Amino acid sequence: MAIKFKINREPVTVDVPADTPLLWVIRDDIGFTGTKFGCGIGLCGACTVHVNGRATRACITPVSSVENTVVTTIEGLAENGHPLLETWVEAQTPQCGYCQPGQIMQAAAMLRDFPDPTDEQIDQVMSGNLCRCMAYIRIREAIRMAAGRLRAAAPQGNDEDREASHA
Amino acid sequence: MAKRLSLAVCIFLFAGIALASWRPPPSANDERDQGKFDPALVKTGEVLAGIGNCSTCHTVSADKPYAGGVDFPTPFGTLYSTNITPHPQQGIGSWSREDFFRAMREGVSADGSHLYPAFPYTHYKNVTDEDLDALYAYFMTREPVDHTPPENALRFPFNQRFLQWGWKLMYFDPEPWQPDPAQSDQWNRGAYLAKGLGHCSACHTPRNAMGAEEKDRAYAGALVDNWYAPALDASQPVPVHWDEEALYQYLRSGLSANHGVAVGSMGEVVHRGLNRAADDDIRALATYLVSLSGEENSTEQVQPAEIITAAQQRADTDHSAGEMLYVGACAACHYNAADKPMAARAELSLNSAVTAEDPTNLIRVVLEGIGTDSGTPVLVMPGYAALSDSDLVALAQFLRRRSGLPEWKNLRQRVEELRELHRQSQVTEAQQAGE
Amino acid sequence: MLKYLTGRNQQGPGHTRDNADTELPSPGRRGFIIGMAGAGLTLAFARSPLGLANPARAVADGAFEPTVWYQIQPDGRIIVNIAKAEMGQHIGTALARIVADELEADWDLVELHHVDSDPKWGYMVTGGSWSVWQSFTPLSRAGAAGRQVLIEEGAKKLGVPPDQCRARNSRVIGGGRSISYADLVSSGNISRSFTDEELKQMPIKPASERRIIGGQTRALDIPGKADGSTLYGLDASLEGMVYGRPIIPPTRYGSAIKSIDDSAAKEIPGYRQTITLEDPSGTVPGWGMVIADSFHAANLAVDRIKVDWSAGKTAGVDEQALLDRGRELIGTADQGVLVLDEGDVDGAFSNAADTLESEYITHGVLHFQLEPVNAVAREKDGRWEIHTGNQWQSLILPVLSKALGVPEDRIVMRTYMLGGGFGRRLNGDYAVPAALAAKALGRPVKMVLTREDDTLFDSIRSPSVQRVRMAFDDDGRITAMEHHATAGWPTQVMAPGFMAEGVNGKYDPFAIQGALHWYSMDGHRVRAIPNDLANDTFRPGWLRAVGSGWVNWALESAIDEAAHKAGEDPLEFRLQRLKAEGRNAGSAPNSVGGAARQANVLRRVREISGWGEEMPADTALGVATTYGQERNMPTWTACVARVRVDRESGRPTVEKLTLVTDAGTIVHPDGARAQVEGAALWGMSMALYEGTTFRDGNVVDNNLNTYTPLRMRDVPEIEMEFVDSTETAVGLGEPATTVVGPAIGNAIFAAVGVRMREIPIRPEAVLAELQKKADA
Ligand code: FES
Ligand code: FES
Repeated sequence: MAIKFKINREPVTVDVPADTPLLWVIRDDIGFTGTKFGCGIGLCGACTVHVNGRATRACITPVSSVENTVVTTIEGLAENGHPLLETWVEAQTPQCGYCQPGQIMQAAAMLRDFPDPTDEQIDQVMSGNLCRCMAYIRIREAIRMAAGRLRAAAPQGNDEDREASHA
Repeated sequence: MAKRLSLAVCIFLFAGIALASWRPPPSANDERDQGKFDPALVKTGEVLAGIGNCSTCHTVSADKPYAGGVDFPTPFGTLYSTNITPHPQQGIGSWSREDFFRAMREGVSADGSHLYPAFPYTHYKNVTDEDLDALYAYFMTREPVDHTPPENALRFPFNQRFLQWGWKLMYFDPEPWQPDPAQSDQWNRGAYLAKGLGHCSACHTPRNAMGAEEKDRAYAGALVDNWYAPALDASQPVPVHWDEEALYQYLRSGLSANHGVAVGSMGEVVHRGLNRAADDDIRALATYLVSLSGEENSTEQVQPAEIITAAQQRADTDHSAGEMLYVGACAACHYNAADKPMAARAELSLNSAVTAEDPTNLIRVVLEGIGTDSGTPVLVMPGYAALSDSDLVALAQFLRRRSGLPEWKNLRQRVEELRELHRQSQVTEAQQAGE
Repeated sequence: MLKYLTGRNQQGPGHTRDNADTELPSPGRRGFIIGMAGAGLTLAFARSPLGLANPARAVADGAFEPTVWYQIQPDGRIIVNIAKAEMGQHIGTALARIVADELEADWDLVELHHVDSDPKWGYMVTGGSWSVWQSFTPLSRAGAAGRQVLIEEGAKKLGVPPDQCRARNSRVIGGGRSISYADLVSSGNISRSFTDEELKQMPIKPASERRIIGGQTRALDIPGKADGSTLYGLDASLEGMVYGRPIIPPTRYGSAIKSIDDSAAKEIPGYRQTITLEDPSGTVPGWGMVIADSFHAANLAVDRIKVDWSAGKTAGVDEQALLDRGRELIGTADQGVLVLDEGDVDGAFSNAADTLESEYITHGVLHFQLEPVNAVAREKDGRWEIHTGNQWQSLILPVLSKALGVPEDRIVMRTYMLGGGFGRRLNGDYAVPAALAAKALGRPVKMVLTREDDTLFDSIRSPSVQRVRMAFDDDGRITAMEHHATAGWPTQVMAPGFMAEGVNGKYDPFAIQGALHWYSMDGHRVRAIPNDLANDTFRPGWLRAVGSGWVNWALESAIDEAAHKAGEDPLEFRLQRLKAEGRNAGSAPNSVGGAARQANVLRRVREISGWGEEMPADTALGVATTYGQERNMPTWTACVARVRVDRESGRPTVEKLTLVTDAGTIVHPDGARAQVEGAALWGMSMALYEGTTFRDGNVVDNNLNTYTPLRMRDVPEIEMEFVDSTETAVGLGEPATTVVGPAIGNAIFAAVGVRMREIPIRPEAVLAELQKKADA
């Protein structure tokens, strides 16, 4: 079944069974491997991407349900430039790094809904993203730093998937 | 037991009067000519068809609009909707205006046979001539589709159409509804839409053993097509009362930060039906429907922030397996700051899927997820079918506790039933994809 | 973990290594060569003294030791070759930092190159904590040699005597001018060698002169991990490959496939076939492998394929059976191996005024490294390539050789980042089924395990049973301690060559680490016993800190029990016994100071944790300490946990962890903090949130719906401190893991008076103990 959507600003058409999880389509068919596979049941967040600007767990999202949407992966976020990528390096957050693209995608989506998040809010939203290396303290720190920068950098960037976001 | 008995009595009764039930076909009408319909009338008809949500029941696939074949599992067996395109053989192409009016208002097909009340003529009887004319114009100008819907698969004796005559005798009052002069025009407009084409109570009112709406429990909430249409009357267990503005927003956009999003059948009503209706009509519907709860003027409103805070506090001390699942699977998208719940982050302590009397909607949404064609238009919620039945039960129990509500009684059983339903629909989808 | 594997392997079992220099035996005896190769300058240890005569030639011929070498490119980039697995410890950065510091390099110009397995790299294993310590001296010399040569070369160019030049930031400075390394490399024709003796005399900078070590330089592997460009094993992809997902048999060993019915899978688009793996190495008996064009198709197929197995004999084993077997073994005097038997233990017990005996239990722990294990395998031109992230290539290569029936030198392991190691990827067993499937099909196979597969195939941290007995004299002094520990033994199962010599036989050193404590007492007996039922039922694994993870739980809980029994402050009680006398005095170079340094971290944690202060109701501090894993390479660690217990639910909440670590020289302070943060939270996770059990021969928890590691919202306040030290740098990745659990258990006792002797500590268990106490 041919399914059309945009990924990292590029239109794509993939011809795969409709129930194929978006994760494998992104990784194996399209070739963006920054999005990771951790649990496959929606409980670790390693596969988090944005669909129309909102964080979505790609491992349990059938590709058919993103027809005509705008999908952004860590590669897309990195290409557009996002303060989280700087602060992630500044805080020296990653250990093995495997969870980090998912963490960053979740954090980026969170900062749209919570531009000035409290620690409580960061904890509540980010606890769905497991970091097995337990780099949590630095993840929190990097998010706080990025939130400050995003607020300072008004007016906010007007990237494509942001427009689609329905916050 | 009492139900069974009455059923048997009814059947006996109906069988005895079977012969009296046939209705002669009205005279054939050959004046019909598509070119004769005024385009403005057709346009009005289109909007009305949206309010009536005709396509949801009569369209099984997008390439065959209004060609019927949608299945309706009922306690009596499965019904299939009919082809209402103007196809002369398969559809209603040979129907006269009078045939159409009679079907809409009396539930009698052009060939004289009785229609099952799954087709809500019990409501359409309230539709004005003017509106029926517009609808007739609309349907007669659709593309005829050559499609034969499957035969109804009802168990005996329910497959005996003539029994419907008896049913009507008992449950159908052909008198149309009259406006209430004591109410505002807006209210009356809303009531007309809701009771007529909108046929809101067809889904939101529980039905008796014979499939008729229970008059004394109007809008008390009911299961339809494996979705739960929540109560709209005073019994509705919503933590934050609906007001006209919120209900208007909900019917218009499918979203309400304080109540949830329209999915399932209601998603179709909002996104593929009411979306064509004028703002005034949506407001009128809101006015009327809000009045059903008798609370529109209530001032003792608990603020959402208090409810959310209380729920979050309950969760803080709840360390159950369900809570852990919630933290891992749900909170990333559903957590809200107490003072600012966002529609796109559906707040579960306010959400009717959690607060409803019945767990169906919650279980289905968790299992199946929500696509962009339903709920919040740009948002995809993935389904969590990978979780086990026990996980779903634990999660649902936690969400009820979190909202300070008692446990759902039939939870485990419903999870198992809906899991099976989901499994079957997956198989069907896979087959369709394979074809 | 595995800190001394290399030394052992190369110097023969039983060799006791006590000097970092001996770790890399060859380079130091062959000299160092520096010569142009291609456009760049190569700096390496010579393979043979012959190379010293003509360094340029030796470099061009590759006649140098590949273990430690680096290149300076004409554009100034400095490429350091790394033969270690990168799994979160930023090992490449740490190693490069040591070179770069002595080289006076500009850190921004340093790059890492991770190399594939090749016999020329020597023995390839990365145990979390030992790489830095092992390589410090040779790497420093390699850097210093480069600096010296560049200064000499720069001096020529600048026309200033070398002794009036210095190097900084990839430049040689002298006579008021400077020249960059890049210019020196591109213009010069540098050729130089150092004999072994010269190398030993190499002026290594004093600690005060270090600019990169100990500074806040950034890890080189981090940017790629943030932007998604880093490649892990799961990201490997080869031309023409198909996907494989295993069907895992009912038991780890002894299962055999009787029949496979895949008729229901045939209609799945992309499904190809299911193969029964024939495995001469015995690594994956009874495995089927579903082959498909996509992983999704393989997944769908697995659900529809029916396999009939004859199961192995452990199909009915449950947790109780494993624990019961442990108790039975402890109760049988001639089982296991005496690791230590000092003083008159039996005499002390028969003369004891009082004794204390407790049993401690730990349950199984899954590695749950976030990247499920996977591997891509192919044969190309008679050579096998295995693409996967792995920590111990040299352990699995012989197994692969046996499985594939080809000599080891025809197999190469391609290197990828590890999506978490924690010891899981020391055991490279997952490479075998991928290779077997590729062999059976004659084409490349990418095998991916789902999380559920990964947990069933995990080599978990074994459940353990321990019994600790103590004898006291009339003054309440501990006169003797007996520590009996039983668990599955990873080393016995997977690397028997690395078993250690005990008093009366060989034992798994990694299964009893941490027991040889530095407390002074007259008699001390440690007995380690392999749990044979565990070894048969699953493949016990090395998991972060390995044995210390359970051993220190028992030891530090028992010491706490003794302190309370004596009516003494538990921290002071420990200090009194850390006397640095006799065998606890420590020795150069690695354990200088001995127990005194352990006492020091304890005193420091007492100062900063608020020890002794008034606490709210049901809230208390608990302490625990450790020397880490190896007596001859101790990392001194102390932890205080502040815990509140909810009497209603029994739930303990960790409010704060305070940790003080003395790991000698800290090469990278920020990285060290990260390691200790991660390790401490792992310890907390295993103490309170993780833990699985066996049922029907397998672990019951297969994914995050029931296995619940610590998440962000559970993170307590953490305060940590490192002792400022210039002693030998030792490992940091594990010790903190081992102190948090007992500190929590001890805090619970202090808070509500119930002694928890089993981890994970479940609220229901605390509640039951509270109830018992109330009833008593
Ligand atoms: S892999 Fe998608 S949530 Fe874990
Ligand atoms: S950095 Fe390894 S899982 Fe998060």
